[in-house]
Amino acid sequence: MGKLLQLLLRNGGFVTFLLVEIGCFAIMVNFETRHKEIWANTTGIFGGRALEKRQIAADYFSLYETADSLAHIVDSLQARLSNARQMQVSIRDTFFLVNYDSLSKTDTVRRKTVRPQYEFITAKSIKNAIAGTNNWLIINRGSTDGIQPDMAVVSPEGIVGIVRHVGTNFSLVMSVLHRQAKISVALPNQKNAFGSLIWEGGDPEEMTLRYIPQHFVVKKGEPVVTSGYSLMFPQGHPVGIVKDLPKSDPENPYFLEIKVSLSQDMATVREVAVVRNLFKAELDSLQLKISINER
Amino acid sequence: MNGSNITPNIMRFIGLVAVQVLLLNQMTNTVGEYFNVLLYPLFILFLPLQLPTPYVVLLGFAVGFAVDAALGTWGVHASAGAFSGVMRGVAFFPFAPKGGFSAKDPIFAPAHMGWQTFLQGTALFMAFHILWYFTFSYFAPVFGWEIMTKTVTSWIFTMIFVPLYVAMFNPKK
Repeated sequence: MGKLLQLLLRNGGFVTFLLVEIGCFAIMVNFETRHKEIWANTTGIFGGRALEKRQIAADYFSLYETADSLAHIVDSLQARLSNARQMQVSIRDTFFLVNYDSLSKTDTVRRKTVRPQYEFITAKSIKNAIAGTNNWLIINRGSTDGIQPDMAVVSPEGIVGIVRHVGTNFSLVMSVLHRQAKISVALPNQKNAFGSLIWEGGDPEEMTLRYIPQHFVVKKGEPVVTSGYSLMFPQGHPVGIVKDLPKSDPENPYFLEIKVSLSQDMATVREVAVVRNLFKAELDSLQLKISINER
Repeated sequence: MNGSNITPNIMRFIGLVAVQVLLLNQMTNTVGEYFNVLLYPLFILFLPLQLPTPYVVLLGFAVGFAVDAALGTWGVHASAGAFSGVMRGVAFFPFAPKGGFSAKDPIFAPAHMGWQTFLQGTALFMAFHILWYFTFSYFAPVFGWEIMTKTVTSWIFTMIFVPLYVAMFNPKK
Protein backbone atom coordinates (compact mmCIF):
# COMPACT_ATOMS: atom_id res chain seq x y z
CA MET A 1 0.00 0.00 0.00
CA GLY A 2 2.85 2.33 0.93
CA LYS A 3 4.65 1.51 -2.31
CA LEU A 4 1.47 2.17 -4.30
CA LEU A 5 1.13 5.55 -2.61
CA GLN A 6 4.76 6.37 -3.38
CA LEU A 7 4.22 5.39 -7.00
CA LEU A 8 1.17 7.63 -7.16
CA LEU A 9 3.03 10.55 -5.60
CA ARG A 10 6.02 10.09 -7.92
CA ASN A 11 3.73 9.99 -10.96
CA GLY A 12 1.13 12.32 -9.48
CA GLY A 13 1.13 14.62 -12.47
CA PHE A 14 0.39 11.85 -14.95
CA VAL A 15 -2.27 10.25 -12.75
CA THR A 16 -3.99 13.62 -12.23
CA PHE A 17 -3.79 14.24 -15.96
CA LEU A 18 -5.40 10.86 -16.71
CA LEU A 19 -8.24 11.45 -14.27
CA VAL A 20 -8.84 14.98 -15.55
CA GLU A 21 -8.78 13.82 -19.17
CA ILE A 22 -11.33 11.10 -18.44
CA GLY A 23 -13.54 13.80 -16.92
CA CYS A 24 -13.03 16.08 -19.95
CA PHE A 25 -13.82 13.20 -22.32
CA ALA A 26 -17.03 12.47 -20.44
CA ILE A 27 -18.01 16.16 -20.62
CA MET A 28 -17.27 16.28 -24.37
CA VAL A 29 -19.27 13.18 -25.36
CA ASN A 30 -22.21 14.18 -23.15
CA PHE A 31 -22.52 17.92 -23.74
CA GLU A 32 -20.96 18.65 -27.12
CA THR A 33 -23.49 17.73 -29.84
CA ARG A 34 -20.92 17.04 -32.53
CA HIS A 35 -18.71 14.98 -30.24
CA LYS A 36 -21.73 13.06 -28.95
CA GLU A 37 -22.72 12.07 -32.49
CA ILE A 38 -19.18 11.04 -33.46
CA TRP A 39 -18.84 9.00 -30.28
CA ALA A 40 -22.22 7.29 -30.77
CA ASN A 41 -21.32 6.45 -34.37
CA THR A 42 -17.89 5.09 -33.40
CA THR A 43 -19.22 2.95 -30.55
CA GLY A 44 -21.91 1.70 -32.90
CA ILE A 45 -19.33 0.61 -35.49
CA PHE A 46 -16.94 -1.04 -33.02
CA GLY A 47 -19.75 -2.41 -30.86
CA GLY A 48 -21.32 -3.89 -33.97
CA ARG A 49 -18.04 -5.51 -35.01
CA ALA A 50 -17.50 -6.92 -31.52
CA LEU A 51 -21.05 -8.31 -31.44
CA GLU A 52 -20.54 -9.79 -34.90
CA LYS A 53 -17.36 -11.56 -33.79
CA ARG A 54 -19.11 -12.78 -30.66
CA GLN A 55 -21.96 -14.12 -32.78
CA ILE A 56 -19.51 -15.90 -35.12
CA ALA A 57 -17.92 -17.59 -32.10
CA ALA A 58 -21.34 -18.51 -30.66
CA ASP A 59 -22.47 -19.85 -34.06
CA TYR A 60 -19.30 -21.95 -34.28
CA PHE A 61 -19.96 -23.55 -30.90
CA SER A 62 -23.55 -24.28 -31.83
CA LEU A 63 -22.66 -25.83 -35.19
CA TYR A 64 -23.45 -29.32 -33.92
CA GLU A 65 -27.03 -28.39 -33.03
CA THR A 66 -27.41 -26.48 -36.31
CA ALA A 67 -26.18 -29.47 -38.33
CA ASP A 68 -28.51 -31.75 -36.40
CA SER A 69 -31.55 -29.56 -37.00
CA LEU A 70 -30.62 -29.19 -40.68
CA ALA A 71 -30.43 -32.98 -40.95
CA HIS A 72 -33.98 -33.17 -39.56
CA ILE A 73 -35.14 -30.54 -42.02
CA VAL A 74 -33.54 -32.45 -44.91
CA ASP A 75 -35.30 -35.63 -43.74
CA SER A 76 -38.61 -33.87 -43.59
CA LEU A 77 -38.11 -32.41 -47.06
CA GLN A 78 -37.03 -35.77 -48.46
CA ALA A 79 -40.12 -37.35 -46.93
CA ARG A 80 -42.35 -34.71 -48.44
CA LEU A 81 -40.68 -35.05 -51.84
CA SER A 82 -40.91 -38.83 -51.86
CA ASN A 83 -44.48 -38.76 -50.64
CA ALA A 84 -45.39 -36.12 -53.21
CA ARG A 85 -44.01 -38.31 -56.00
CA GLN A 86 -45.83 -41.30 -54.59
CA MET A 87 -49.18 -39.56 -54.37
CA GLN A 88 -49.33 -38.22 -57.93
CA VAL A 89 -52.58 -39.83 -58.96
CA SER A 90 -54.59 -39.12 -62.06
CA ILE A 91 -58.32 -39.23 -61.57
CA ARG A 92 -60.31 -39.23 -64.75
CA ASP A 93 -64.00 -39.24 -65.37
CA THR A 94 -66.07 -38.33 -68.40
CA PHE A 95 -66.11 -34.67 -67.53
CA PHE A 96 -62.66 -33.64 -66.24
CA LEU A 97 -59.13 -34.75 -65.42
CA VAL A 98 -57.78 -33.97 -61.96
CA ASN A 99 -54.17 -34.36 -60.86
CA TYR A 100 -53.24 -33.83 -57.25
CA ASP A 101 -49.86 -34.17 -55.56
CA SER A 102 -50.21 -32.20 -52.38
CA LEU A 103 -49.81 -33.95 -49.01
CA SER A 104 -52.68 -32.13 -47.40
CA LYS A 105 -55.02 -31.36 -50.28
CA THR A 106 -58.46 -32.86 -50.17
CA ASP A 107 -59.99 -34.10 -53.37
CA THR A 108 -63.41 -32.50 -53.45
CA VAL A 109 -64.75 -35.12 -55.88
CA ARG A 110 -64.05 -38.21 -53.82
CA ARG A 111 -63.52 -36.50 -50.42
CA LYS A 112 -60.32 -38.42 -49.87
CA THR A 113 -57.25 -36.96 -48.16
CA VAL A 114 -53.87 -38.10 -49.45
CA ARG A 115 -51.64 -39.74 -46.90
CA PRO A 116 -47.85 -39.78 -46.75
CA GLN A 117 -46.21 -43.17 -47.27
CA TYR A 118 -42.60 -42.66 -46.19
CA GLU A 119 -40.79 -41.42 -43.10
CA PHE A 120 -37.05 -40.73 -42.97
CA ILE A 121 -35.01 -41.45 -39.83
CA THR A 122 -31.62 -39.70 -39.68
CA ALA A 123 -28.59 -41.83 -38.89
CA LYS A 124 -24.84 -41.83 -39.18
CA SER A 125 -22.68 -44.56 -40.62
CA ILE A 126 -20.19 -45.53 -37.92
CA LYS A 127 -18.53 -48.41 -39.78
CA ASN A 128 -18.22 -48.97 -43.50
CA ALA A 129 -16.44 -51.25 -45.93
CA ILE A 130 -16.09 -51.16 -49.70
CA ALA A 131 -13.12 -53.40 -50.43
CA GLY A 132 -14.67 -56.80 -49.73
CA THR A 133 -16.75 -59.04 -51.93
CA ASN A 134 -19.79 -58.51 -49.74
CA ASN A 135 -19.76 -55.22 -47.88
CA TRP A 136 -21.66 -54.04 -44.81
CA LEU A 137 -22.21 -50.84 -42.85
CA ILE A 138 -23.18 -50.21 -39.24
CA ILE A 139 -25.46 -47.27 -38.46
CA ASN A 140 -26.14 -45.68 -35.06
CA ARG A 141 -29.86 -46.42 -35.00
CA GLY A 142 -31.57 -49.54 -33.67
CA SER A 143 -34.91 -50.93 -32.58
CA THR A 144 -35.35 -48.19 -29.98
CA ASP A 145 -35.33 -45.70 -32.88
CA GLY A 146 -37.94 -47.62 -34.86
CA ILE A 147 -35.57 -49.43 -37.22
CA GLN A 148 -36.69 -52.79 -38.59
CA PRO A 149 -35.12 -55.26 -41.01
CA ASP A 150 -35.65 -54.70 -44.74
CA MET A 151 -35.75 -50.92 -44.46
CA ALA A 152 -33.92 -49.02 -47.19
CA VAL A 153 -30.99 -46.75 -46.30
CA VAL A 154 -30.40 -43.71 -48.50
CA SER A 155 -28.33 -40.55 -48.50
CA PRO A 156 -29.09 -37.18 -50.10
CA GLU A 157 -26.84 -38.19 -53.01
CA GLY A 158 -28.09 -41.73 -53.65
CA ILE A 159 -28.78 -45.20 -52.27
CA VAL A 160 -26.69 -46.85 -49.57
CA GLY A 161 -28.13 -50.24 -48.66
CA ILE A 162 -30.81 -52.29 -46.90
CA VAL A 163 -31.12 -52.95 -43.15
CA ARG A 164 -30.68 -56.64 -42.44
CA HIS A 165 -30.01 -57.04 -38.71
CA VAL A 166 -31.24 -54.72 -35.97
CA GLY A 167 -29.85 -54.30 -32.45
CA THR A 168 -31.18 -52.14 -29.66
CA ASN A 169 -29.09 -49.10 -30.63
CA PHE A 170 -27.30 -50.08 -33.83
CA SER A 171 -28.16 -51.83 -37.07
CA LEU A 172 -26.26 -53.79 -39.67
CA VAL A 173 -26.89 -52.60 -43.21
CA MET A 174 -26.18 -54.64 -46.34
CA SER A 175 -24.37 -52.21 -48.58
CA VAL A 176 -25.38 -51.82 -52.23
CA LEU A 177 -21.84 -53.13 -52.78
CA HIS A 178 -22.96 -56.63 -51.79
CA ARG A 179 -23.45 -59.45 -54.26
CA GLN A 180 -26.89 -60.20 -52.86
CA ALA A 181 -28.10 -56.61 -53.20
CA LYS A 182 -30.70 -56.24 -55.94
CA ILE A 183 -32.28 -52.81 -56.23
CA SER A 184 -35.22 -52.10 -58.52
CA VAL A 185 -34.34 -48.99 -60.54
CA ALA A 186 -35.79 -47.16 -63.50
CA LEU A 187 -34.64 -44.98 -66.40
CA PRO A 188 -36.82 -41.84 -66.31
CA ASN A 189 -35.75 -40.87 -69.84
CA GLN A 190 -36.95 -44.26 -71.12
CA LYS A 191 -40.54 -44.02 -69.91
CA ASN A 192 -39.38 -45.32 -66.53
CA ALA A 193 -38.33 -48.68 -67.91
CA PHE A 194 -37.25 -50.62 -64.85
CA GLY A 195 -34.67 -53.28 -64.17
CA SER A 196 -32.47 -54.75 -61.43
CA LEU A 197 -29.30 -53.08 -60.25
CA ILE A 198 -26.67 -55.50 -58.93
CA TRP A 199 -23.05 -55.34 -57.92
CA GLU A 200 -20.66 -57.78 -59.51
CA GLY A 201 -17.65 -56.93 -57.34
CA GLY A 202 -14.55 -54.94 -58.22
CA ASP A 203 -15.16 -51.25 -58.85
CA PRO A 204 -17.03 -49.73 -55.82
CA GLU A 205 -18.28 -46.85 -58.00
CA GLU A 206 -20.00 -49.03 -60.57
CA MET A 207 -23.04 -51.35 -60.57
CA THR A 208 -24.75 -53.27 -63.37
CA LEU A 209 -28.34 -52.69 -64.50
CA ARG A 210 -30.02 -55.68 -66.11
CA TYR A 211 -33.44 -56.59 -67.56
CA ILE A 212 -33.92 -53.42 -69.58
CA PRO A 213 -35.38 -54.66 -72.91
CA GLN A 214 -33.22 -54.30 -76.04
CA HIS A 215 -35.58 -51.96 -77.87
CA PHE A 216 -34.81 -49.04 -75.52
CA VAL A 217 -32.16 -46.66 -76.88
CA VAL A 218 -30.24 -45.86 -73.70
CA LYS A 219 -27.63 -43.13 -73.95
CA LYS A 220 -24.52 -42.47 -71.88
CA GLY A 221 -25.12 -40.00 -69.03
CA GLU A 222 -28.83 -40.76 -68.60
CA PRO A 223 -30.06 -40.62 -65.00
CA VAL A 224 -30.95 -43.77 -63.07
CA VAL A 225 -33.43 -43.53 -60.19
CA THR A 226 -35.25 -45.92 -57.86
CA SER A 227 -38.35 -47.34 -59.52
CA GLY A 228 -40.57 -47.50 -56.42
CA TYR A 229 -41.42 -51.14 -57.13
CA SER A 230 -39.18 -52.50 -54.39
CA LEU A 231 -41.49 -51.14 -51.61
CA MET A 232 -38.33 -50.32 -49.66
CA PHE A 233 -36.88 -47.46 -51.67
CA PRO A 234 -39.17 -44.53 -52.45
CA GLN A 235 -39.71 -43.83 -56.12
CA GLY A 236 -37.47 -41.37 -57.95
CA HIS A 237 -34.56 -41.28 -55.50
CA PRO A 238 -31.27 -40.70 -57.40
CA VAL A 239 -29.07 -43.76 -57.92
CA GLY A 240 -26.53 -42.71 -60.54
CA ILE A 241 -25.98 -42.21 -64.26
CA VAL A 242 -25.44 -44.52 -67.21
CA LYS A 243 -21.67 -44.87 -67.44
CA ASP A 244 -21.19 -46.29 -70.98
CA LEU A 245 -23.24 -47.19 -74.01
CA PRO A 246 -25.20 -50.38 -73.10
CA LYS A 247 -24.28 -53.77 -74.49
CA SER A 248 -26.37 -56.85 -75.05
CA ASP A 249 -26.62 -58.95 -71.87
CA PRO A 250 -24.52 -62.07 -72.51
CA GLU A 251 -26.77 -64.11 -70.17
CA ASN A 252 -29.97 -62.97 -71.85
CA PRO A 253 -29.77 -61.50 -75.38
CA TYR A 254 -33.26 -59.92 -75.22
CA PHE A 255 -32.07 -57.50 -72.57
CA LEU A 256 -29.35 -54.87 -72.16
CA GLU A 257 -26.44 -54.82 -69.75
CA ILE A 258 -25.93 -51.24 -68.58
CA LYS A 259 -23.05 -50.05 -66.41
CA VAL A 260 -24.22 -47.46 -63.88
CA SER A 261 -21.94 -45.00 -62.13
CA LEU A 262 -23.24 -44.50 -58.57
CA SER A 263 -24.05 -40.93 -57.50
CA GLN A 264 -23.24 -41.73 -53.86
CA ASP A 265 -19.54 -42.36 -53.32
CA MET A 266 -19.69 -45.37 -51.00
CA ALA A 267 -16.24 -44.56 -49.59
CA THR A 268 -17.50 -41.30 -48.07
CA VAL A 269 -20.91 -42.32 -46.74
CA ARG A 270 -21.57 -40.62 -43.43
CA GLU A 271 -24.98 -38.95 -43.01
CA VAL A 272 -27.76 -41.34 -44.07
CA ALA A 273 -31.49 -41.78 -43.60
CA VAL A 274 -33.45 -44.99 -43.01
CA VAL A 275 -36.70 -45.15 -44.95
CA ARG A 276 -39.76 -46.38 -43.11
CA ASN A 277 -42.65 -47.38 -45.32
CA LEU A 278 -45.76 -46.62 -43.28
CA PHE A 279 -47.77 -49.19 -45.27
CA LYS A 280 -45.18 -51.96 -44.90
CA ALA A 281 -47.37 -54.26 -42.82
CA GLU A 282 -50.22 -54.03 -45.31
CA LEU A 283 -47.93 -54.51 -48.31
CA ASP A 284 -46.16 -57.48 -46.65
CA SER A 285 -49.47 -59.22 -45.98
CA LEU A 286 -50.49 -58.70 -49.64
CA GLN A 287 -47.18 -60.16 -50.80
CA LEU A 288 -47.72 -63.14 -48.51
CA LYS A 289 -51.03 -63.81 -50.27
CA ILE A 290 -49.19 -63.86 -53.62
CA SER A 291 -46.82 -66.52 -52.23
CA ILE A 292 -49.72 -68.54 -50.79
CA ASN A 293 -51.65 -68.37 -54.07
CA GLU A 294 -48.68 -69.56 -56.08
CA ARG A 295 -48.08 -72.68 -53.98
CA MET B 1 2.63 29.23 -4.92
CA ASN B 2 3.11 31.67 -2.11
CA GLY B 3 1.15 34.77 -1.19
CA SER B 4 3.22 37.08 -3.36
CA ASN B 5 2.43 35.36 -6.61
CA ILE B 6 -1.22 34.32 -6.12
CA THR B 7 -2.55 37.78 -7.07
CA PRO B 8 -0.59 38.08 -10.33
CA ASN B 9 -1.78 34.63 -11.34
CA ILE B 10 -5.40 35.43 -10.55
CA MET B 11 -5.11 38.62 -12.61
CA ARG B 12 -3.47 36.67 -15.42
CA PHE B 13 -6.27 34.06 -15.29
CA ILE B 14 -9.06 36.61 -15.55
CA GLY B 15 -7.27 38.79 -18.08
CA LEU B 16 -6.25 36.00 -20.46
CA VAL B 17 -9.68 34.34 -20.37
CA ALA B 18 -11.35 37.69 -21.04
CA VAL B 19 -8.99 38.54 -23.92
CA GLN B 20 -9.42 35.07 -25.38
CA VAL B 21 -13.21 35.10 -25.23
CA LEU B 22 -14.00 38.75 -25.91
CA LEU B 23 -11.30 39.68 -28.40
CA LEU B 24 -9.42 36.81 -30.01
CA ASN B 25 -12.38 34.53 -30.67
CA GLN B 26 -14.31 37.45 -32.16
CA MET B 27 -11.35 38.07 -34.50
CA THR B 28 -11.57 34.45 -35.63
CA ASN B 29 -15.25 34.90 -36.40
CA THR B 30 -14.49 38.08 -38.37
CA VAL B 31 -11.27 37.24 -40.19
CA GLY B 32 -11.78 33.51 -40.90
CA GLU B 33 -11.62 30.05 -39.37
CA TYR B 34 -7.86 29.73 -40.00
CA PHE B 35 -7.13 32.85 -37.92
CA ASN B 36 -6.93 31.23 -34.49
CA VAL B 37 -4.93 32.78 -31.66
CA LEU B 38 -4.80 30.87 -28.37
CA LEU B 39 -3.35 33.15 -25.72
CA TYR B 40 -4.89 31.69 -22.53
CA PRO B 41 -2.27 28.85 -22.35
CA LEU B 42 0.16 31.57 -21.25
CA PHE B 43 -1.53 31.30 -17.85
CA ILE B 44 -0.27 27.72 -17.60
CA LEU B 45 3.12 28.66 -19.02
CA PHE B 46 3.61 31.45 -16.47
CA LEU B 47 2.68 29.32 -13.46
CA PRO B 48 5.60 29.00 -11.01
CA LEU B 49 8.18 26.47 -12.19
CA GLN B 50 8.40 24.98 -8.68
CA LEU B 51 4.66 24.22 -8.60
CA PRO B 52 4.08 20.43 -8.50
CA THR B 53 2.70 18.99 -11.73
CA PRO B 54 -0.70 17.82 -10.34
CA TYR B 55 -1.49 21.45 -9.43
CA VAL B 56 -0.38 22.68 -12.85
CA VAL B 57 -2.66 20.08 -14.46
CA LEU B 58 -5.61 21.14 -12.33
CA LEU B 59 -5.02 24.85 -12.96
CA GLY B 60 -4.64 24.14 -16.67
CA PHE B 61 -7.98 22.33 -16.56
CA ALA B 62 -9.49 25.31 -14.71
CA VAL B 63 -8.42 27.95 -17.25
CA GLY B 64 -9.51 25.71 -20.12
CA PHE B 65 -12.87 25.07 -18.46
CA ALA B 66 -13.40 28.80 -17.99
CA VAL B 67 -12.85 29.36 -21.72
CA ASP B 68 -15.17 26.41 -22.52
CA ALA B 69 -17.88 27.82 -20.31
CA ALA B 70 -17.70 31.18 -22.08
CA LEU B 71 -17.58 29.72 -25.59
CA GLY B 72 -19.82 26.68 -25.14
CA THR B 73 -17.13 24.23 -26.29
CA TRP B 74 -17.56 21.94 -23.31
CA GLY B 75 -14.48 19.93 -22.41
CA VAL B 76 -12.27 20.81 -25.40
CA HIS B 77 -10.19 23.68 -24.01
CA ALA B 78 -10.23 22.05 -20.56
CA SER B 79 -8.72 18.89 -22.03
CA ALA B 80 -6.04 20.90 -23.87
CA GLY B 81 -5.29 22.89 -20.70
CA ALA B 82 -4.78 19.73 -18.65
CA PHE B 83 -2.57 18.26 -21.37
CA SER B 84 -0.44 21.41 -21.47
CA GLY B 85 -0.11 21.23 -17.69
CA VAL B 86 1.51 17.81 -17.90
CA MET B 87 3.54 18.62 -21.04
CA ARG B 88 4.94 21.82 -19.60
CA GLY B 89 7.76 19.93 -17.96
CA VAL B 90 8.55 18.16 -21.24
CA ALA B 91 8.54 21.41 -23.20
CA PHE B 92 10.86 23.17 -20.71
CA PHE B 93 13.15 20.21 -20.09
CA PRO B 94 15.60 21.00 -22.94
CA PHE B 95 16.05 24.51 -21.51
CA ALA B 96 16.40 23.62 -17.85
CA PRO B 97 19.81 24.17 -16.29
CA LYS B 98 21.72 21.27 -14.73
CA GLY B 99 19.87 20.22 -11.59
CA GLY B 100 16.59 21.74 -12.81
CA PHE B 101 15.01 25.12 -12.29
CA SER B 102 15.59 26.82 -8.96
CA ALA B 103 13.97 29.59 -6.94
CA LYS B 104 16.12 32.01 -8.96
CA ASP B 105 13.79 31.29 -11.93
CA PRO B 106 10.30 31.62 -10.48
CA ILE B 107 8.55 31.54 -13.88
CA PHE B 108 9.47 30.78 -17.48
CA ALA B 109 9.74 34.36 -18.75
CA PRO B 110 12.23 36.44 -20.76
CA ALA B 111 13.06 38.40 -17.60
CA HIS B 112 14.71 35.23 -16.22
CA MET B 113 15.58 33.06 -19.28
CA GLY B 114 16.26 35.56 -22.00
CA TRP B 115 14.13 36.00 -25.11
CA GLN B 116 15.73 33.24 -27.14
CA THR B 117 15.17 30.52 -24.54
CA PHE B 118 11.72 31.86 -23.75
CA LEU B 119 10.58 31.88 -27.37
CA GLN B 120 11.97 28.41 -28.07
CA GLY B 121 10.32 26.94 -24.99
CA THR B 122 7.04 28.75 -25.67
CA ALA B 123 7.02 27.58 -29.32
CA LEU B 124 7.30 23.97 -28.20
CA PHE B 125 4.72 24.41 -25.42
CA MET B 126 2.21 26.12 -27.72
CA ALA B 127 2.68 23.44 -30.42
CA PHE B 128 1.68 20.74 -27.89
CA HIS B 129 -1.32 22.70 -26.69
CA ILE B 130 -2.64 23.76 -30.11
CA LEU B 131 -2.26 20.28 -31.65
CA TRP B 132 -4.14 18.65 -28.77
CA TYR B 133 -6.83 21.33 -28.90
CA PHE B 134 -7.61 20.88 -32.61
CA THR B 135 -7.39 17.09 -32.38
CA PHE B 136 -10.12 17.05 -29.76
CA SER B 137 -12.02 19.86 -31.41
CA TYR B 138 -12.49 17.77 -34.56
CA PHE B 139 -12.58 14.47 -32.64
CA ALA B 140 -12.19 12.23 -35.70
CA PRO B 141 -9.12 11.11 -37.69
CA VAL B 142 -10.89 11.79 -41.02
CA PHE B 143 -10.26 15.49 -40.34
CA GLY B 144 -6.49 14.93 -40.19
CA TRP B 145 -5.74 17.49 -42.90
CA GLU B 146 -7.88 20.20 -41.25
CA ILE B 147 -6.29 19.46 -37.87
CA MET B 148 -2.75 19.80 -39.25
CA THR B 149 -3.40 22.96 -41.29
CA LYS B 150 -5.24 24.70 -38.47
CA THR B 151 -2.55 23.69 -35.99
CA VAL B 152 0.16 25.24 -38.17
CA THR B 153 -1.70 28.47 -38.92
CA SER B 154 -2.88 28.87 -35.32
CA TRP B 155 0.63 28.27 -34.02
CA ILE B 156 2.04 30.92 -36.36
CA PHE B 157 -0.53 33.54 -35.37
CA THR B 158 -0.22 32.69 -31.66
CA MET B 159 3.56 33.03 -31.77
CA ILE B 160 3.07 36.54 -33.20
CA PHE B 161 0.80 37.54 -30.31
CA VAL B 162 2.86 35.99 -27.49
CA PRO B 163 5.86 38.37 -27.77
CA LEU B 164 3.41 41.29 -28.01
CA TYR B 165 1.78 40.22 -24.75
CA VAL B 166 5.10 39.62 -23.01
CA ALA B 167 6.55 42.92 -24.22
CA MET B 168 3.43 44.71 -22.96
CA PHE B 169 3.22 43.08 -19.50
CA ASN B 170 6.79 41.76 -18.92
CA PRO B 171 5.81 39.10 -16.38
CA LYS B 172 8.33 38.39 -13.66
CA LYS B 173 6.38 36.29 -11.14
